[in-house]
Amino acid sequence: MTSHAADARLPAAAGPGRRRRRGRGWQAYLFIGPSLFGVVAFLLLPMVIVLVLSLFDWELLSAPEFVGLDNYRRLAADGGTWHSLWVTVVYVLLCIPLQTVLALALAMLLNQRVKGVRFYRSLFVIPWMATPIVLALIWNWIFDPRDGALNSALALVGVTGPDWLSDPAWALPAVALVSIWQHTGYNMLFFLAGLQGVPKELYDAAATDGATPAQRFWRVTLPLLNPTMFFVTVTNLIGAFQVFDTVYAMTDGGPSGSTEVLNFRIYQTAFKEFDFGYAATLSTLLFAVIFLVTMAQVRFFGKRTTYDLS
Amino acid sequence: MVKRILLYAALAIGAFLSVFPYLLVVLTALKSQAQLTSTAPWLPGLPPTADNLARMLAGDFPRYVLNTALMTALLTAGQLVFTTFAAYAFARLRFRGRDVLFWLYVATMMVPSAVTMIPLFLIMRELDLVNTWYGLLAPYILGTPYGIFLMRQFFKSLPAGLEEAARIDGAGALTILLRVLLPLCRPALGTLAIITVISSWNSFLWPLIITSGEDTKVITVAIATLKDGIGVDYHLMMAGSLIALVPMVAVFVFFQKHIVRSVVLTGLK
Repeated sequence: MTSHAADARLPAAAGPGRRRRRGRGWQAYLFIGPSLFGVVAFLLLPMVIVLVLSLFDWELLSAPEFVGLDNYRRLAADGGTWHSLWVTVVYVLLCIPLQTVLALALAMLLNQRVKGVRFYRSLFVIPWMATPIVLALIWNWIFDPRDGALNSALALVGVTGPDWLSDPAWALPAVALVSIWQHTGYNMLFFLAGLQGVPKELYDAAATDGATPAQRFWRVTLPLLNPTMFFVTVTNLIGAFQVFDTVYAMTDGGPSGSTEVLNFRIYQTAFKEFDFGYAATLSTLLFAVIFLVTMAQVRFFGKRTTYDLS
Repeated sequence: MVKRILLYAALAIGAFLSVFPYLLVVLTALKSQAQLTSTAPWLPGLPPTADNLARMLAGDFPRYVLNTALMTALLTAGQLVFTTFAAYAFARLRFRGRDVLFWLYVATMMVPSAVTMIPLFLIMRELDLVNTWYGLLAPYILGTPYGIFLMRQFFKSLPAGLEEAARIDGAGALTILLRVLLPLCRPALGTLAIITVISSWNSFLWPLIITSGEDTKVITVAIATLKDGIGVDYHLMMAGSLIALVPMVAVFVFFQKHIVRSVVLTGLK
């Protein structure tokens, strides 16, 4: 990239621009090639298979039988599934706002001149590092109504804690709490990386203009974090709608269906009742819901302006 | 001053809440069978015993750790290379079908994994890759949509004018990526590396489905089998997860100095 090279290339740059652009386009396909192969073979193809399966009655041992839209008619009348969808939505609403706000708050705390930043950062991310099965076991101990750590701690301040995981009113919030515990520090990492990318000059300029800390947050920090916020909320929502591990290991969908999220119902339908065709139909429903929610987010974030720093 | 105290208090509370459940893992891993029933989960067993750790380390567990380490290393290497190229193309290059393809990638993240596992397994069976390293690695080694999404957002957050100077100097897309953009992407690459290492290390459902032999057994599957036996060997399980957790904390501490390296500090205005 010396000036010599620049001189040598100048005549070429004066040539027809169309050829250059097309050349670069060809290169772009080369760049995405390997990942595209993976996405098509291991994600899209299974997705198509699921869609096709939703039109079949297939109970694994018998041959699949084409039934058209029968599975979807069954879905429309299946109150249990709509209940599961409702449970899933409540779960998402319990997790996402708290988990996002807490993560951003932690990131902003750590983005100051703090002694032992790395130490705290490591500790906050630890909840995300362990095997989900083990975590669920540990939390079952913590939620134990009699000798569990949570109710013992509540007893110290004179509160009688509920029977968390066996109480239909508390089981879902308890599962949501574990998710918040697990993901807050992890999301903090993204916000922290985003915050570090905000040029200090902008804060200085805002301070010179007499902006209050609140104004700096709403007018400088948040708009500049827009790409990060988009990534965090989109991936978190997708993850929350698909929650499975914690429900599977902590409550098994109970008590009385109060934690039976949709993905758990799909698993039950496929691997307990071996009703693969209908499980595929339920997956299509879950996919449709997630798709709509994500599109809504794309529109929401697309409308908001981002600063161009160039 | 009061503000500083509140700041550190908030950080300390957050740190305690994050770590407390792990104290239970450590305490339980150091308990004998008798202490397990006689003490509450959150009180230490006295005297602590290293028997569980020794038992896990003497058996086949170290081999599963090696298997997991190999899987993690290969998946992370593949992810870093292929994801970076794809994300760069999606974020900074123009080509036909770019946006459609990108949203197709994002759409694949929305498919519930519990059910795509079945078709994926059927595909692997057709390809004769069940219970092989190829079958274990193939779906994730070419870069995941999640990783590509993450890196694309980082690439997009870099100022638009960066490539211009290099392009005027006649640099091609590859040179621009390697010489101009990647040095600025160290925080993002560090983040991606950590995410990939830890999620590979903890991956459970796919290894459980696709592998059955000892040669490809990973630690999560090994730990889960301790639960499936007669009763639950809590203390062995916790010892196993403690052994599994230590390398992850080490990896995190190693990589994290790369994560938060301010873009401003690297000379970008």
